[in-house]
Amino acid sequence: MLEVRGHARGGQGMVTAFEILAKIFSHSGKYQVQAFPAFGVERTGAPIQAFLRISKEPILNRSNVYHPHLILVFDEALIEQVPVFDGIRSGGSVLFNTDRDPEEFSGKADKIYTIPATKISLEKGLGSKSLPIVNAAMIGAVIKILDADINIAKQIIGNNVPSKPVENMKAAEVAYNSLTGIDSINKFLLGSIETGNDGEETLLLADEQKKQFLVQLEEIPKVPYWSQPMSLNKTGNWRVLTPTYVTRDAPCTTNCPAGTDVRKFVDLTSEKKFVEAYDVIYEHNPFPSVCGRVCPHFCEQNCNRMELDEGLNIGSIERFLGDRSFKSELKSYKITQKEKIAVVGAGPAGLTAALRLTEKGYPTTVFEALPYAGGMMRTGIPEFRLPKNILDEEIKRIERQGVNIILNKKVTVKELENDFNAVIVAVGSHIGSKMNIPDEDIVLDGIVFLHNFKMKNDNQGVSKDDEVAIIGGGNTAIDVARTILRLGGKPTIYYRRTRKEMPAIAHEVDEALAEGVEIKFLTAPVGISKNDRIDLTLIDMELGEPDESGRRRPVPIKGSESTVTADKIIAAIGQKPDDFVFAGNEIKASQGKIEYDASVAVFCSGDMAWGGTVTEAIGSGNKVAEEVNAFFRGEPYSHEETEKDIVIPAELNFAYYLPTSRTQNPVKKSRDFYNDFDEVIKGLTESEILIESKRCLHCGDCFSCGNCYNYCPDAAIFIDEENRLRIDYDYCKGCGICAQECPCSAINFQMNEVVL
Amino acid sequence: MEPSNKFLIQEEEVYSGALSCRGCGWALLVRHLSSILGKETVYVVPASCFSIIAGPYPMNELRGTIVHTIFAAAPATATGIRTALDRQGKKDVIVAVLAGDGGTFDIGFQSLSGAATRGENILYVCNNNGAYMNTGIQTSTATPYGAVTTTNPNSNIKKTWPKDLMGIIAAHNIPYAATASLAFMEDLRMKVKKAKETEGFRLLMIDGPCPPGHKTEPDKSIYVARQAVESKLFPLYEVEHHNYRINYFPSEYVPVKECLRVQGRFKHLFKDDSEEILNDIQQHTNDYWDRLRLLESHSFQVKN
Amino acid sequence: MSNSSSIKNKVEKKKKQDAKQYNRHTLKILKGNFAAAEGAKLCRTGFIPAYPITPQTTIVEALSDMVGRGEMDATFINMDSEHSVFAAAMGASLAGERVFTATSGQGLFYAHEVLHAIAHFRLPIVICNVGRPSIPWNIWSDQTDSLSQRDTGWVQFYGESSQEVLDDIIQGYFIAEKLDLPVMIVLDAFYQSHTSENVWVPDINLIDEFLPAKEKTGSEIDVSNPKSYGGLIPTEHYEKFNIKFWQDINKVEDLTNEIGKKFGDLFGREYSAVEAVNIKPETKMILVTLSSITTTARGVLKQHPEVGLLKLRLFKPFPKKSVLKILNHVSNNCIIVNIERNFLGDNEGAIMHEMKRALYGSSFKMYDVYTGLGGKDVPPSTIEKIIRKTFNAPEDVVWIDFE
Repeated sequence: MLEVRGHARGGQGMVTAFEILAKIFSHSGKYQVQAFPAFGVERTGAPIQAFLRISKEPILNRSNVYHPHLILVFDEALIEQVPVFDGIRSGGSVLFNTDRDPEEFSGKADKIYTIPATKISLEKGLGSKSLPIVNAAMIGAVIKILDADINIAKQIIGNNVPSKPVENMKAAEVAYNSLTGIDSINKFLLGSIETGNDGEETLLLADEQKKQFLVQLEEIPKVPYWSQPMSLNKTGNWRVLTPTYVTRDAPCTTNCPAGTDVRKFVDLTSEKKFVEAYDVIYEHNPFPSVCGRVCPHFCEQNCNRMELDEGLNIGSIERFLGDRSFKSELKSYKITQKEKIAVVGAGPAGLTAALRLTEKGYPTTVFEALPYAGGMMRTGIPEFRLPKNILDEEIKRIERQGVNIILNKKVTVKELENDFNAVIVAVGSHIGSKMNIPDEDIVLDGIVFLHNFKMKNDNQGVSKDDEVAIIGGGNTAIDVARTILRLGGKPTIYYRRTRKEMPAIAHEVDEALAEGVEIKFLTAPVGISKNDRIDLTLIDMELGEPDESGRRRPVPIKGSESTVTADKIIAAIGQKPDDFVFAGNEIKASQGKIEYDASVAVFCSGDMAWGGTVTEAIGSGNKVAEEVNAFFRGEPYSHEETEKDIVIPAELNFAYYLPTSRTQNPVKKSRDFYNDFDEVIKGLTESEILIESKRCLHCGDCFSCGNCYNYCPDAAIFIDEENRLRIDYDYCKGCGICAQECPCSAINFQMNEVVL
Repeated sequence: MEPSNKFLIQEEEVYSGALSCRGCGWALLVRHLSSILGKETVYVVPASCFSIIAGPYPMNELRGTIVHTIFAAAPATATGIRTALDRQGKKDVIVAVLAGDGGTFDIGFQSLSGAATRGENILYVCNNNGAYMNTGIQTSTATPYGAVTTTNPNSNIKKTWPKDLMGIIAAHNIPYAATASLAFMEDLRMKVKKAKETEGFRLLMIDGPCPPGHKTEPDKSIYVARQAVESKLFPLYEVEHHNYRINYFPSEYVPVKECLRVQGRFKHLFKDDSEEILNDIQQHTNDYWDRLRLLESHSFQVKN
Repeated sequence: MSNSSSIKNKVEKKKKQDAKQYNRHTLKILKGNFAAAEGAKLCRTGFIPAYPITPQTTIVEALSDMVGRGEMDATFINMDSEHSVFAAAMGASLAGERVFTATSGQGLFYAHEVLHAIAHFRLPIVICNVGRPSIPWNIWSDQTDSLSQRDTGWVQFYGESSQEVLDDIIQGYFIAEKLDLPVMIVLDAFYQSHTSENVWVPDINLIDEFLPAKEKTGSEIDVSNPKSYGGLIPTEHYEKFNIKFWQDINKVEDLTNEIGKKFGDLFGREYSAVEAVNIKPETKMILVTLSSITTTARGVLKQHPEVGLLKLRLFKPFPKKSVLKILNHVSNNCIIVNIERNFLGDNEGAIMHEMKRALYGSSFKMYDVYTGLGGKDVPPSTIEKIIRKTFNAPEDVVWIDFE
């Protein structure tokens, strides 16, 4: 008589499998069979047992199987949880549902077979990931082990499974053909079927003698009551999928070119911890007031809240923190490193890099060609977007931290190579690009125009009521147009693509349009002719295939030329760096260390290397400082980004967030902006900031909402002495409610790891 | 709902290790219930999943007292216990029946009606998961129209509407009856507190998620419960004597099929020719809601 | 005048003699049902869940009245069914109250599942059952109802008179609370329940001496010491509780005899598990009876010195030792005839089952007589018929009026 014992989890189909096996073996009419479960109170996922007897002789035993010839383990994780090998006969076999090789289980039994039944079943769509129904695959494997007829088995499976007969039959066949561990016929198992006496009586008697039967009647009351805690029953062994607390990446943070921990400073702000919030920004970005105003707010661009209602107004929070001077004490940094570093250019990249290196203890000097620090923030962004005093404050703070800025000093790398160990070139892109059309010399350069007007109050011949044509679609074009408007002129922007492709910050475009700037799309200049005014010849464009920037390339439409007349033409089609620093050599600038013929290590950073916004320049400054430090410390440095685990909207549970609208900044509205250089966009009040910061979804970061704790059916989540949420894995059954109901996707829910 | 930032349970009155399935509503309900009712409570449990969940020998899942009793007569057993405690001067001890829908709608119905009519000072909590789940998913009179159970298998889906137990219990003129959902935990806890403080016969009808019985993934238990409320399949309301108050008005229209779709027991309704049944269920749900609105508008806001 | 006065004196003297016999008692004329109610009151029961059923009705009416008048400090609740009555009794008893109720026939059948639960919760509840059978509707005397519940784990006493019913309730509580077992006192419908007769009602202080207020056992519901009662028990532990039950149910017979004697000392009426009437070594026939038929048989026996009577007062657990003790001295030529006012759907009746079990291995010839079912009167002539019947046929079961 062959005795088989199975170990599985409630719901995996083992009881059905045993009954089907009984049917398969009785089919020939040669064998007596008996299949039954150990009928208990266990629930889905809990370890259960079933028994099977196959014999040529009548089966004269109706008790449980204590000494099996063959043990079937439907879930390999059970071997850590229940004594599956108990009582196995000498010479007995074990079949595991596992992806592993039999060798990995060696020593567990005299003969080991393995079958990836879970994989096979999931491929056939049987059961779910948390509870694959593996019975058909296990039957297929047993049929192979016991050298029975798979075709008959398939037919019986098909007729007996509660659903998906075809898939179950296929699963059985796949398993039959992919069993590992089979080398020859298992004579021990097959032989046992043929013989009547199985000797179990002797084995059981030996068990009895080992056991101590001491029924303590006195320990129980007459009345059937009891009171030991349920926690004696550890339900952790029911778990197939395991929840774990994780901190994942928020799209706002990963999207910030400066590397600012956006989620964190927003959270601190919502708790009214403004100083701490400011410090979090400052760790990556010494220009919160500036960026709060002029950054395109990469952080807002894929804010998951947009999926619910409107994205968070993060820029205003940053601006608020910067403006209100919620600043901690300035730290003074001691010089601890011997390597001297020069930074060329006092723009956002240069100043950030200098600050970081000063923090790290390097003696650092910044050389600035202009009589003022700030770079493009100073010269390229109009007053009505970025008031001077705001920038002054932030630069002063950097200086007070020990960064030495030398103004009016236009230098080359060569001049510095003897006095410094490294030069960081961060000269920006201050030279306007040419349109490459005839008579271009009468065209003003947008970036120069902005610089001259802002710093020297020079309106460069633009008079009231002048019609000004502006070529381009970036922020410079928009800023020029809005400046013209404030000089009383009539600006019209000509852009060769459509609104969608405009590189300018979207809300700036909106404001420009609202203020009265006209924009003509899909048109490009082809010629200029000067008379008392200027005739500008334009050609209509259409969009063709995407170029390397991913934007669709504008293609001229033949014969569509037309002419407009203007008083001034200003080009704002792009900028490039001033190559003076490299003594006129054309250097392909890229982020970080570059090859340059000098006796000093040369690094590039800022606009000239990549990006084009203040925040990207700041990020670039942070990175170059890291690289310089790594260079001197002999540490490896990689430009590769570490892989991010970014929370996407589908992973959030929006049921726990009340839809609220975004708190918009007040925008200065006027019929006439003539001579009005006041800041257009106003900041938010403290109470508005608190409301707005509380709108944060906390993507991927536990904010102690209590859901996991409140919803755990098994009281398996607790708060430890350090006030942290913990999962008690002795009891967690792995239902996954905590992960599902976590609003912010800060709980991972994955298959158990099985360690052999 | 907004994130509550609240850890609602100050002190656990249950032990971990309960014999409840993964994602079981019973276990979660009792965890919250006991945290409000406190240790000095006698729970009377007729045959139900909770008979098992609460702990086989030698264990007790609760830190309070449990009396396991016969299926048909939990309210009567509770009546006896209540009487004894009252005679012993222990009027403050709560006697709470924890029953399933079978024990409430079907076999225990007479005993329930008796206790309610007598005005016994008992808190009756029904975890309604819409079938006999402990015995393996057989139809009860609380089973929803259109559901499959092992006694309404496959093509033979249940084609009768569940008993309106709330309507019936309200007709008993009891001081407090309410529906509550685990997905609206603060509302549920408010109702448990209110029921605790009310004297007389009180009944709470809880929509009980049951992953094996409803054929849902365990982690979707709260989601399904929430959808049931949002789709008005399980409206949240209170009845004080004959006065109705609806506690939650879904802000967005969620069709019932959105709630049914995620439950395997209704999957046959999403085959081509079942649109009519879905429409019937939607209509029935709408009608019930309208009737509740009407009852609410006819209620005078006078206590007792 | 002097004559009548002398008669009056004689009567008074007789009364005094009786009164002396039953010191601290009051003589009342009570129906069996009222004696039952009186018993429940005297035992200071605290909770009476009730549901009416003929012929039990007047018991709960009387109790309701007593509670209403403030004669007894009990809570009386009109339940919705016998099932609920017993469930409520179970709850209150579990919480430590002394509980009483009464039922009959269908009511007892309906409560069947609760009877098991009460017994295995080990609750010392005492009830009265006024026997009647099932379909076709019959409200009259019959012991099928209680005898069919003999395997529920309840101790059963069959009272012969109103006096005995009252006394059995008092002793019943003593035994119940001593051994943590429920006790059922059975009386016959109408022939006892509605029959007014002399009953010596003990004074309450006498009862209090015999049956003190219910003591705490530590097993009661106590919220300061929470427990879980009656939950699921795994196979390997279940028997433990059965063994404990078995140990206690085996003590019932001895305790019945012991306490019956103690009761006699205090109340003047002694009881035992069984009573032997006119049983001598040379007795030719012994009639075995329960309840009211016993009384009629006593009368007929006056004419039949060769016939003895064995009254089973304790029926469950069956008082095997007491029966054997009596029959030990009887010649085995004596035949035993069981009078069955019950029909359990089997060849023989309940008394036969138990007597056979008790006498297993002895050589007594035993016969079974069905009579008086569904309240059919059992007059002395029927008893006479039984005595005169020749029981030598191979058939050992007879329906006495259908031969």
